[in-house]
Amino acid sequence: MRNEAQLIDAARAGSADAFADLVRGYRDRLLRFLVTRCTSVADAEDALQDTLINAYRYLDSYDSRWRFSTWLYRIAIRNAGNSRGPDLVEIGDLHDEENGPLQQCIADSEVENLWVTARRHLKDDVFTAMWLRYAEDMSVNDISKALDRSTSWTKVSLMRGRRALEAQLNDAARESEAYG
Amino acid sequence: MDKLARQLREDARRIDVTVSDDLDRRIEASLRAARPEARRQAPPPARPPLFWWASTVTGLAAALAVIGIVNWQERKEPLPVPVSIAELQPPIELKMETAKLTAPLEEELEALQSDLKKAEEKVRRDIGL
Repeated sequence: MRNEAQLIDAARAGSADAFADLVRGYRDRLLRFLVTRCTSVADAEDALQDTLINAYRYLDSYDSRWRFSTWLYRIAIRNAGNSRGPDLVEIGDLHDEENGPLQQCIADSEVENLWVTARRHLKDDVFTAMWLRYAEDMSVNDISKALDRSTSWTKVSLMRGRRALEAQLNDAARESEAYG
Repeated sequence: MDKLARQLREDARRIDVTVSDDLDRRIEASLRAARPEARRQAPPPARPPLFWWASTVTGLAAALAVIGIVNWQERKEPLPVPVSIAELQPPIELKMETAKLTAPLEEELEALQSDLKKAEEKVRRDIGL
């Protein structure tokens, strides 16, 4: 069983198998993240494929001072952005669409998923920062690197994202009380 | 971990999506078709064999020229002559100060001498000298 550094070295030398082993543990997590960013599950799958291919091709540019997952997410964020053309439906509107990818993946949920609320009310970068922090347990430094932003921006965005979500939750609770 | 963070984490797990077998095959096939690109390094520019010697000699000559010019300019400038602080003080002012201080005493002395002279004359008159 080779460790991450050994797999990276082997993949750099041209071993596709080593790279496949390297990213196996990240694929589902990346796909889940991309589903929240793309307009359909098919788009998210394409974005995942592009992310992994790009990561393999440009693995030589990976700096080992970064965590490998941070580097992968940075590529995934770029690919997710590329798959969203101006003519595509905004993810924020997907809540109203029963066929939206995020809704499809949580259709069996009785209570509204907070990430759907987040997608509807938060800006792209703020949503991503929130996802990386709370779904991926990334540190503020790693989030800053993945988003190519300052740590101050990341901290402020996380705080604003939290406030926005808490406000939405409070509103929902008040409405629920009002309607009994 | 607070309530909101816990709920966000749980809700992320409830997004039920995994890489399908079909996607897995697609990714594997794409990876096998791709090749990692080696980082391009700029080739070092070709230099003539005597380039470094010529550069070194030129640099040394330039440094010596700068040192020579700086020293030559320094020699041309007159050296400043040190002046004692005492010389800078106006001596007349000091004398004036002394005169101001001793003048009342001298006046007092003259007054006393005058009083003494008058008293001496009075005594002489009294005794009939």
